[in-house]
Amino acid sequence: MSATETLPGAAAAAPRTIPPVDRESRRLGFRLTLPTQLLVLFIAGFPLLMQLYISLTDWSPLDGVGWWKAWESWNSFANYTDLLEDRRWWGALWRTFIIMLVCVPAEFLLALGLATLFMDDFPGKRIFYSILLMPMMVVPAVAGYMFFMLFQSGGPFNGILSALTGMDIRIAWLSDPTLALVAVMIADIWQWTPLMFLILLAGLVGVPEDQLKAATLLGANWRQRFFTIMLPRIKTIMVIALAIRVIEIFKIFDTLYIMTGGGPGVATETISVYIYKVTTQDLIWGYVAAIALVILIALSVLAVFAMKRMEAAKNGGRA
Amino acid sequence: MRRSPAFEIFRYAAIALALALTLLPILWMVSMAFKPIPEWSATGADLTWIPRAPTLDNFRFVFGESTSDLIVALERTAWRPILASLLSAVFGTIIAMVCGTAAAYGLSRFGSGKNLPLALIQLRLFPPMAVMIPVMIMWAFLGLIDTWWGLALIYGIVTLPFAFWLMKTFFDEMPREIEEAALVEGCSRFRVFMKITLPVMRAPLASSALLVFILNWSDYLIALLLTTKNWVTIPVYMASLSSSMTGQLYGAKAALGLLAAIPPVILGIAIQKHLVRGLTFGALKQ
Amino acid sequence: MTTIRLENLVKRFGDFTALKTMDLEIRDGEFMALLGPSGCGKSTTMNMIAGMEDPSGGRILFDGRDMNGVPMGKRGVGFVFQNYAIFTHMTVRQNLAYGPKMRGMSRSEIDRRVKNIADFLQLTPLLDQKSAKLSVNILQRLAIGRSAIVEPAIFLLDEPLSNVDAAFRAVMRTELKHLQKQFKQTMVYVTHDQLEAMTMADRIAVMDHGVLQQVGTPLEVYNNPANIFVAKFIGAPGMNLIAGELAETDRGLAVDLGSWGVSPPLSDDLAAAARAAGSRAVQYGFRPEEATLGSERKGLRARVTFVERIGARTIVHAESGQAVKVVTENDVGFSIGDVVSIVPTPAAVRLFDAASTAAIRGG
Repeated sequence: MSATETLPGAAAAAPRTIPPVDRESRRLGFRLTLPTQLLVLFIAGFPLLMQLYISLTDWSPLDGVGWWKAWESWNSFANYTDLLEDRRWWGALWRTFIIMLVCVPAEFLLALGLATLFMDDFPGKRIFYSILLMPMMVVPAVAGYMFFMLFQSGGPFNGILSALTGMDIRIAWLSDPTLALVAVMIADIWQWTPLMFLILLAGLVGVPEDQLKAATLLGANWRQRFFTIMLPRIKTIMVIALAIRVIEIFKIFDTLYIMTGGGPGVATETISVYIYKVTTQDLIWGYVAAIALVILIALSVLAVFAMKRMEAAKNGGRA
Repeated sequence: MRRSPAFEIFRYAAIALALALTLLPILWMVSMAFKPIPEWSATGADLTWIPRAPTLDNFRFVFGESTSDLIVALERTAWRPILASLLSAVFGTIIAMVCGTAAAYGLSRFGSGKNLPLALIQLRLFPPMAVMIPVMIMWAFLGLIDTWWGLALIYGIVTLPFAFWLMKTFFDEMPREIEEAALVEGCSRFRVFMKITLPVMRAPLASSALLVFILNWSDYLIALLLTTKNWVTIPVYMASLSSSMTGQLYGAKAALGLLAAIPPVILGIAIQKHLVRGLTFGALKQ
Repeated sequence: MTTIRLENLVKRFGDFTALKTMDLEIRDGEFMALLGPSGCGKSTTMNMIAGMEDPSGGRILFDGRDMNGVPMGKRGVGFVFQNYAIFTHMTVRQNLAYGPKMRGMSRSEIDRRVKNIADFLQLTPLLDQKSAKLSVNILQRLAIGRSAIVEPAIFLLDEPLSNVDAAFRAVMRTELKHLQKQFKQTMVYVTHDQLEAMTMADRIAVMDHGVLQQVGTPLEVYNNPANIFVAKFIGAPGMNLIAGELAETDRGLAVDLGSWGVSPPLSDDLAAAARAAGSRAVQYGFRPEEATLGSERKGLRARVTFVERIGARTIVHAESGQAVKVVTENDVGFSIGDVVSIVPTPAAVRLFDAASTAAIRGG
């Protein structure tokens, strides 16, 4: 935790205290933060060490020995080297990236377009806004089931396609490797465009109206105002929105697992689904621990980056 | 700014399309939830958008009442999973809010726990799947597997970052004059926190608690890993309905999905104006 | 370099009429102040000139050309916003170059213009600074420069000094007036501060409740207010007004001011005008600066209620049913409760019709 002391954001995050910070308040501050500190330690400190230890062994809960005796199956760094050659892992990672590269930009552009339509007042704005936010509040597992139903070969999605084309379309979306991935992406875009919309709209309405008027008076047309005033002004907000979604994509599980279970085959297996399957079906937990640690380290780097941007956004937002 | 009629037409058309796409999956599930068995799998030209013979049988079925069409008997009814979801989400929310609020106040006012903002952001970033091995081992050791309190504990920890960050931004914004006045009156700082600050912050506390509750209620993966039978939550129960039966119980699952989806959607709309702040960790305040 | 004419200009927002049939000509190169309390329609008027709002009726003419339907970007209007609306995510140079760039001017032309305007406004050393942290007078210059660079026909300024510290306003006023003289631009300046209008404007258009009350040079408006509103609004403090009735006395026409006594006889011009106007109920007005205080029994009699000493001048508040203020150069030693005699300078006395509130003017 010493790294946080040198982080500029951490100092700014702790605003001025009531002077003078006497002993009473220091003690109270310590007591108030203690439960949270203990919980963080409970979930991060000890488990990380445990995970590191197990990741160096072949331990499995089926071994019949406690995890502390995992050294009996010590394998040095075999799990990590295995990971380099694990094609299923690389496939899952690759698929996760594909989903990210399709969904995040799609969500971003759709949300940005929608947000620009919601910048000024018009009749019905409030109710439309509330409805458009609904998908992100639907329990992801339930959303998964919604799309599972939609994409049945006799389901409404094909029904609409049939109605549009006049042919009887019976595409088996979820049993075709490519289409299943497409379906999963559609579900993700459906559920998370609203989040992006919510954040980007908050940014856009924060762009001072006078600046837009000033630009108009100087001869800027709508497109020029958009690119020279609006976008630069919400740059940090866009970074935050994108960062949040990129991180969430790494977690993608509920919706996808209910829709396809990672299948057909491994066609929609993402890293979370892969880890889940290795955990619950293959039960080689030593290996899982190794994968998990790699992901944790990668995301920690992202965390520091995101944190800095958020502090920058906050400081910039007040100017 | 003035807008042309052409723009207005375009705007309403685009929004209408977005609304249609947004509502289609939701309305389909609602429709399914009220369909009798024969309409569940009607396809092609027979596809029923609106139930022809709307019925509450699906809901009766999942709550264990016998219905005319569904004669299969359920291993267990929806009552227990609903109870599990409620208990784990509510107590998880209590854990997160109590610890998060206290810590946020400690940091905001007394500068204690300067490591927490970053530590909790990291906690929030980690895919739950990547920390579940130790959690499963620890929970098994502590006898917390398949209990609502075990679930509540992990929920409390997982949503702690949201509670902490939201309350921190609210405390940072709260004017201190009220507290300082009470301090001058001779109140202890802890009394000021309990008797002045918390009552003043009622509304932010409520919004934060609702957001945390929504997040807890929405979990699937953790419950899938940490519960097995007695205390499975609604999403786990919903997903398991088909595997134990012959074929998909579309209508019954849709009814369950609807029950699970309604609370967060309503609560989410209620706390709309704090959503941005809550989900961006205070980086943005709407 | 443009003459602006507003003809029968009307603006309604639903049932609310923000501006009632306004006619106004703003001359080429003139510094015109639109002055009035908030909600008087001055900002609405300016927004319509800029094209940010459409008139509900009437016309706006730039050099005889009807601006109706011309979008705001194409009117050739420079606009200085209350908060200057500087693009804080850009440098000073990018701010200045914004207009020319949007109009698709060539790089060399943009550079030339930026250089000229920066030299002119003494912004050259700051060109590559981020504009977010500039001081407010630099921001004002930058805002003007950013508009001026596209050579607008007219400049509109929306209360640019209202966010500035009182101490700094005098500096900003001087600088603004100076810039206007150099640019020789037609400028319309919206303000609720009569001091700003008086010190900077060539002419002032006083507005209230969506109605244009009076147009004139600062001195005209100050000396000969067209009605009671203008009389009270202009000047600090505003004109004293006492209700009374015209009364013939042995020394000529005067005003019976009730408990104040009878006013000194009116000047011949004013008396003639008052007789011609025919109405007996009037408001008797005089500037606080245009009266002397004494203790003899020859002027308006009132009791001192408050003595406000503001350095070189002293404002004596006196009351007899209604309150008046008199500004004296030095403290004449009255204190609260004293009975004083107020003698308005005869030539500075103004009469207003009590019913119509309009001024009764001689000659």
